Formats: sequence, structure tokens, C-alpha cells
Amino acid sequence: MRSEILRSTPFRLTVIFGVTFFAALAIAGLIAFGLIERELSQRMDRSITDAFNVISQSFGDSDLTDLTDTVRSHATATLDHDRVYALIDASGAVLAGNVARAPLATGWMTLSSPALGLIAKNDEGQYRVFLGDVGGTRLLIGASFAETTEIARLTLTSVGWASAAILILLLATGAIIAIRAQRRIDGIAVTMARVGHGELGARIPVGARGDDIDMLARQVNVALDRLASLVEGMRQVSVNIAHDLKTPLNRLAITVEAAVEADLKRGPVAPLLEQAEVEIKQLNSTFDALLRIAQIEAGARRARFVQVQLADVLDKIADVYSDVAEESEQTLTVSHEDDLPPIEGDRDLLVQLCANLVENSIRYSPAETQIELLAVRSGDSVLVTFDDNGPGIPIEERSKVFQRLYRIDQSRTRPGNGLGLSLVKAVAELHGAHIDLGDNDPGLRVSIWFPISANK
Amino acid sequence: MPLRLHRQASAEVAAPPGRHHWSNTKDTHDMRVLVVEDDKRTSDYVRQGLVEAGHIVDALADGREALAHAGKVSFDVIVVDRMLPGLDGLSLVKGLRASGTTTPILFLTAINGVDDRVEGLESGGDDYLVKPFAFSELLARLNALGRRPPAQVEKTTLVVADLELDLVRRSCRRADLSIDLLPREFALLEYLMRNQSRVVTRTMLLEQVWDFHFDPQTSVVETHISRLRAKIDKPFTAALIHTVRHIGYSMHA
Repeated sequence: MRSEILRSTPFRLTVIFGVTFFAALAIAGLIAFGLIERELSQRMDRSITDAFNVISQSFGDSDLTDLTDTVRSHATATLDHDRVYALIDASGAVLAGNVARAPLATGWMTLSSPALGLIAKNDEGQYRVFLGDVGGTRLLIGASFAETTEIARLTLTSVGWASAAILILLLATGAIIAIRAQRRIDGIAVTMARVGHGELGARIPVGARGDDIDMLARQVNVALDRLASLVEGMRQVSVNIAHDLKTPLNRLAITVEAAVEADLKRGPVAPLLEQAEVEIKQLNSTFDALLRIAQIEAGARRARFVQVQLADVLDKIADVYSDVAEESEQTLTVSHEDDLPPIEGDRDLLVQLCANLVENSIRYSPAETQIELLAVRSGDSVLVTFDDNGPGIPIEERSKVFQRLYRIDQSRTRPGNGLGLSLVKAVAELHGAHIDLGDNDPGLRVSIWFPISANK
Repeated sequence: MPLRLHRQASAEVAAPPGRHHWSNTKDTHDMRVLVVEDDKRTSDYVRQGLVEAGHIVDALADGREALAHAGKVSFDVIVVDRMLPGLDGLSLVKGLRASGTTTPILFLTAINGVDDRVEGLESGGDDYLVKPFAFSELLARLNALGRRPPAQVEKTTLVVADLELDLVRRSCRRADLSIDLLPREFALLEYLMRNQSRVVTRTMLLEQVWDFHFDPQTSVVETHISRLRAKIDKPFTAALIHTVRHIGYSMHA
């Protein structure tokens, strides 16, 4: 669990964010430290200058004693040599003050405590010192860096502590976020494992936050819904197949039984066997159609796609089926725009798609029905419409007629295997075409949009 | 129990339909056929049927043996199962074609796959039949394949009794009367006349005349045949297009 949290994305993000923040804080601290140091040393210089001016003014009446007293009183008021004062005569001897020695130069300088004859008490014992001439003597005013160093140390320490606190806070937050995210991800993993074990109803709990994990969970749930309905569809198909094939198998068994009986009684056997043969042929063609649809759906056929002119396919359908329609006292008219662009496809399958739809219209419509095929260009597609003014398909049945072996109640009594439209759909989908069942008021209108070949 | 035994026995001795009313008794030229099929029952059924139809049959079960055998003996037509031990059907046909054999070949297969037919034809096969098949269908197809005229002696005029079809001028005459045919009727008649005196099945017509590789759910073949009959048979005394019950059609005087 611990290593899982360390590897989790939220925790890693928090660590990266924390380290970056820490670095930023360190840089900011250093900059602040530099600014403070500069400000402090300027202030120190100003206060030394101020003290020098105050003390040197006490020499206003040219009285060396006053000056000596002032220096002495300042020196005694100073504890721990925080500040140093000295009055030095021309020979270099210290007349008054709290230092033992003084340099001979004048002006600003930084001195260590031994240079002033002092025993270092503070860190490095550095002093900022100003020496100036006052009435034939030199006045030394200085201040220890101890205070500045102390302030700097305080600044650094507080920045350090603040950083540490922030870092700990960040890591803790990261861990909490990581654990919570991990818990939600574990929820997804558990659900997927359940689905993997066949529990297709399992869904990932979706929070109200609507964040990325919730969105992902929702998408996975949608995919699971689709998967479940597909599996349910497949189950339905298997049940339908078993059901639809049991009936003819039963008839076959009865027929064969009857043939055996007839043979025992020396009666005619051939008609019964012929009947059995018809049943077998029908069963076989149902299996063939099922296999064919499965193969088309597998999509391997796409490798053999060539450019196909839908106009040619439609002309062929007109050629073959106008007589067939006429035989059932219906009319078939086929028309298409000139110069229709080609599509990528499989000619044999497209012919079968059109044949299936036209045959459906012929078989399920009464005499006098008008069947019309039309192909036009529509944007990036070639739109082929199959219209008839026959009975049509009730609106509530339209989504179901593409299912394998599904048959509308009115058509159940007629021969047919309930696979014609399934194959139409499989072929349309293989070609990336969109298919729609609509109303022709009255009758059925099937519209199929085939995408135009890209490499024209 | 005796009933059951009886059934089994009758299944085993069931003779395939041989010289029946529909077999091509007029066509006396017998063919030498090589059958390569590993399922013994199917092989026996096909062999026996072909022998009864008057053909000479060699049956083999192994692809490799078949390749060697076809190299030594000349056949009129070869029947090859797609799934074979030793060497599969596709490879066998490719091998035969590579070695220069031009003998017509018919594939037998258990699957009516969309791609299988194309694959079979691409490998060098000439025709394709899906199991389970009716023996009559196989025989009709073998007759059409094995008796194909060589390409160089293509006729320009087909004649059956007093019916003449001029392939160059695209015209049709019967008993000196000119008959107007639509292109689709012409194509159908041409195929029937090329296979005169032989049985052509519904599926053969669908494949060869209309290039349909599926089973239509409407009476496509019947409709077109009846249209053609109305033009070339109805106005005359003798019919030339004969229906062969359950199987297909045959054109002869």
C-alpha cells in the first residue's frame, strides 16, 4: 500500500510541486536576506554617522574635556562592546573610549576585534568603524556586526522553519490526495475485475465532483453499457438461432421418421426425402448467411476494397430485378445522377446489399407497389435511397429489424430467414456507410450514405 | 433398435444418384477425374457417382500424393478439397499451376466464406462448390468445366437445332425468324447454348450470367428463363430450353 501511494500520480505531482515550491521559497529567502543585510548595514552606517556628528558637536566650544567626557559617557553606556567609541590623540594614544587600540587611518573601515584590542565575544567580532578628525584628535565610532548577524540568522532560521513546515504540509496533503485518488482508482480496478469475471452489470461509482476521474468513470460506464448490450445481443442471437433452427430440425426429424415408416410399409419414400432435402437446404443457407454476416463484420474483406461506381451496381440491379418486379405486378425504377463519384468498396457485397433491399420490397409488398432506387451525391457521400409504397416497417420495429434472425410478426408466415437486413447492415458498416430506415408515407424508405472514395 | 440398424445400413449403402433422367446421357465423351478429398465418405460418394455417370475416377486423400499423381497422369478435371492432410488444397492448386498444369480445377469447401471463393480462384481454381452440395450440382459443374472448349477454337455462332446465336453481330434467329433480345436475355441464352445438352444449375446461372454470389430470395432465375422462353420457345412448336426438376435447365433439341 505504501509503495502504491509513492507511485501514485497525485503523490508524485505533489512531490514535484513541493520541491519546486521549496526551491522558489529558498530563492525568495536568499533575496530577502540580501536585501535585509544591505538595509541593515546602511542603517548602521547612518547611525554611526549620526553618533559621530552628535559627539563631534560637543567639541563646539573647543573644549577637549567636554569631548573626552562625552566619549567616555557614551562608552560606559555601551554594554558588551555593542558599540565602540574612542578619542585618539595625534600620537595614537586612546584618550577616552572602550577600545584598547585604534588604527591610524581615517574614514570607513571594517575591523576585527583584535585590531581594536578587544577580546572577541561575538561570532567573528567584526566591527563597522568610522574614524574622523575632531579638533586635532581623531574620533572613532563603531558598531558590532553582531546584531546584523543575529537578525540575518533569525531571518534564515524563520525561512528554514517555514519551508520545512510547508514541505511537511505539502507531503501530508499529497499523501491524503494520493490515498483518496488511489481509493477511487481502486474502485475502478475492482469494478473492471468484476466485469472481467463476467459480472457485466457492475458499474464504477461516479462522484458528484465531475472531475477527470469522474469523467473517466462515466466514459468507462458508457463503454460497459454498450458492451453489456452487445453481449446481451449476442446472447439473444444465440437463443434466436437455437430457437429458429430447432423448428426446421424438428420438421426434418418428423419427415425422416415418416420416410422410414413409408419405407417399412413399402410406400413411396422419394417425396418425403425431397421434402427433407429442402429443409436441409434451408438450414444450410441460414448457417451460410450467419457465417457470411460474421465474416463481413470481422472486416477482413476491407483489404480487398477497390473503387466501385455505385451507378454500375444500380444498373445491374435494374437489369436483374425489373423483370422480377414485373412478374409480381410491381414496378422497379432505378435512376442515378450522372458523374457520381466512386466509393471504396466490394462490388459483390454492394450488389448483394442492393439485391436484399429490393427483394425485401418485392417480397413483402403487394401488387401495384412502386419500388424506386435513387443515387445522388450528398456532400461527402453518395446517398442511395430505396423507396417503396408497400406496408413499410412500424416505427417501433425499425431498430430491431437489423438484429439477426429478427422477423416482424406480419412476415413470420412467409419464407425467409430474418438475416437479409442484418447482412445489409453488416455490409453498410463495412463500407463506413450510415443507414437509416424512414417513412415513405406510405411505405419504407431506406437511406444509405456511402462515403466518397478519398483517393479519387 | 432394429429400426435404427436399418437406418444406418441404408445410409451406408445409399448410392449417389448416377445415371438418372438428368444425367448427360447424350454426351458420351467420358472424363478422367481426379478427386482429392480426405473425408472418406464424401470421397466415396463423389467417386461412385462419377463412375456411375460414366467417368473414370482416381481418388486420393493426401495433397502431396495428389501433386505427384497429377504430374504423371493427365486428367480432364480435378476436384480438390480445401482442407487436406499433407498439403492443403490452396497450396496443391498453386503447385499444380506452377508446374504448368492447365487442367480445370474445382474446389470443395466446408465454409462459404466471403473471401474463400476469391482466394480459391486467385490460387488458380476455376470453380468453387460449398459443402454440403448436391451431387447433381457437382456433376453439372464438372461437365461444364471438363468439356470447356479450348480458348482458341471459340465459336462465333452458336447453334442448337434451328436456333442460331451470332456472337459477333449480337443477333438471334430461329427458323429464319429474327428474334430481338435484350442484352440480359442474350447473355443468358449464350451461356445456355455454350453448355448445350448439359445441365446448368440455378447457381451456375446466377454466378456465370449475373455474377451473383449469393442465393437470391426471389425467383430471379425462373423469371429470366421464362422471359427468354417467351421469345425463343413459345412462338415455335418444339421447346429448346428444358427444365430439369430440382436442378436447373438444359438446352437441347
